[in-house]
Amino acid sequence: METLFAELAKSLVSGLIMGMVFALVALGLTVIFGVMDVVNFAHGEFLMIGMYTTLLTSPILKVDPLVTLPLAGLVGAALGVMCYYGLVRFLLRGPMVAQLLGTFGLMLTLRNLALLFLGSEPQIVHEGLLVGKSYVFGPGIVLESTKLAAALLSIVSFAVVWWLIRRTKLGMALTATSLDAEGARYMGISTERMNATAWAIGGASVSIAGGLLVNFWPVDPNVGLLFTMIAFATVALGGFGSIRGAFYAGVIIGLIVYFPPAWDALSNFGGLDWPSIHSFKYTFVYLIYFLIMVFRPQGLFGWKQ
Amino acid sequence: MEAIKNALDFSDFPRLDLSLAGAVFAFLLLFPALPHSSFAMATMIQFLMFSLYGMGWNTIGGYAGQVDLGKAQYNGIGAYTTAVMMVRWDVPFWVSMPVGMALAVGWSFLIGYPLFRLKGHYFSIATIATSLVLKDLFEVWDFVGAATGLQIPIRSKLPDFLYLQFRHDYYYYYILLALFVVGILYLNAFRHSRLGFQLRAIKDNEDVAKSLGIDAHWCKIKAYAVATAFVAVVGSFHACYNFNIEPEDVMSLDLSVLIAMMALLGGAGSLWGPIIGAAILVPLKSYMGDWLGAASGLEGLNLIIYGGIIMLIAAVQPRGVWGMVEAVRARRRGGYAAS
Repeated sequence: METLFAELAKSLVSGLIMGMVFALVALGLTVIFGVMDVVNFAHGEFLMIGMYTTLLTSPILKVDPLVTLPLAGLVGAALGVMCYYGLVRFLLRGPMVAQLLGTFGLMLTLRNLALLFLGSEPQIVHEGLLVGKSYVFGPGIVLESTKLAAALLSIVSFAVVWWLIRRTKLGMALTATSLDAEGARYMGISTERMNATAWAIGGASVSIAGGLLVNFWPVDPNVGLLFTMIAFATVALGGFGSIRGAFYAGVIIGLIVYFPPAWDALSNFGGLDWPSIHSFKYTFVYLIYFLIMVFRPQGLFGWKQ
Repeated sequence: MEAIKNALDFSDFPRLDLSLAGAVFAFLLLFPALPHSSFAMATMIQFLMFSLYGMGWNTIGGYAGQVDLGKAQYNGIGAYTTAVMMVRWDVPFWVSMPVGMALAVGWSFLIGYPLFRLKGHYFSIATIATSLVLKDLFEVWDFVGAATGLQIPIRSKLPDFLYLQFRHDYYYYYILLALFVVGILYLNAFRHSRLGFQLRAIKDNEDVAKSLGIDAHWCKIKAYAVATAFVAVVGSFHACYNFNIEPEDVMSLDLSVLIAMMALLGGAGSLWGPIIGAAILVPLKSYMGDWLGAASGLEGLNLIIYGGIIMLIAAVQPRGVWGMVEAVRARRRGGYAAS
């Protein structure tokens, strides 16, 4: 009985923590979608680049991985702006198909650039202020400090972006562009620059999420697709374009993905032999996406149909 | 009768196109007789397979304009039906292929009904999600061999036409070529059919099509079933051709996107588009993989070039090669390019 409660509490805590990170991953996607209706298939690859940035620069600069986060953000923002001016601007002229394919091509290119230059070996941060340390909360609940820091910093980054979009002039211009691009143009807002800003914010936030993740999640060139799908599911659940929605949906997705360990505990409970559904944890994410899209396409908090 | 007449009616194409198509067909027919490496043969078989995938995708993605990125799941259903029936019950290909097709089409109705309530990106991403769910299920399902997949036992007497097992690739080639011809004729009839016109009306303007009394939802589901049937047949063939199938191989997202890309590169919504797209991309991918693959120490370079080409097409000419041809022709005539 005690182990069951411990398992449940553990799932709950790790679900909440991963949920915060998922929310930050999804934030970039929802900002870009909200402003310009473009779905970015290369989103997970931005995350991968953020992970590699932290992984590779912290030994070179001889600083803690957490200190390199702003650098990861800068790299992500620069990459986002480059992608916008180099590719997405042209894709917008074509039909919707062009965006899907163009960002898919971007995903292939980024992923294989990483493969070519960094190799296919999974890598992880080994040295750092927080790596390997953990706190014990009650019986059986051990919390790695890297995950805790990731969750807290995710909330901070999320809050910064929320503040930027809701409380600054730049954010108002972004919101105006997303509501009515033509109208915003008449009001003297350079929508082109707003789109690039959205890509910069999107790239930066997801790269920071990558920098946080790499402390406890091994990085390899193919890590992106899983996170792209998680981000799609999160954004769909929260509503395309909704920032508040992305946060709550990230937490919900995190809880769902990290709940099956509790199921495993349940399956041993009372001597019953329940089938293990642990291996299906990501299948649930795809399923949620499908069900949400079909039954509530605007998501939980969405305003765009 | 009407359908057969339509299938053989190519009169709306310029004579130049038809003579080119005739020359290409003669080449395809004679290819095994020409001197060739086994690698070239494998590439040609891939080309025919992807042409068929592309033709199928073209009905829903091209004529109906619904960008489907989940075709791999139907390929998987076809391939697995054939493999499971062969391994477990010793059923010949020609029986298991229609069964696989029926199962795939049934599944396409089931998920197509809710899916087509969505539009645009929402539809595309939802098709990816369904495909990934099915792949995850197949990866843990013991009956179909889970993640390691299935191995079709080799028959004692070769060549075996019932089970599609041959020592030489040219048997496979000619069977595929026959399917290819049937596919083209079917699509030519489809183009002239009531459904074909309805789909183009929906693609141009769904609201207007609806106001003219077209049941857009049902039309899309029907076109989706047609596309699914094509893909499932090639999937069944793939199982026999490869002997060994696994979820990562036959149901991956890369396959779904590749199918869509071939059709789009050639020009979606035209009869020749998917074939042109496959003729460009398949040899490119296969020879680049050969030259720049793992052996050269430059792993990934081929896919970087590949990704670059995709981005370029998407940015410069999203209507594909056929779109360019039509634009040039329209300019010669002095009119506007038709879509």
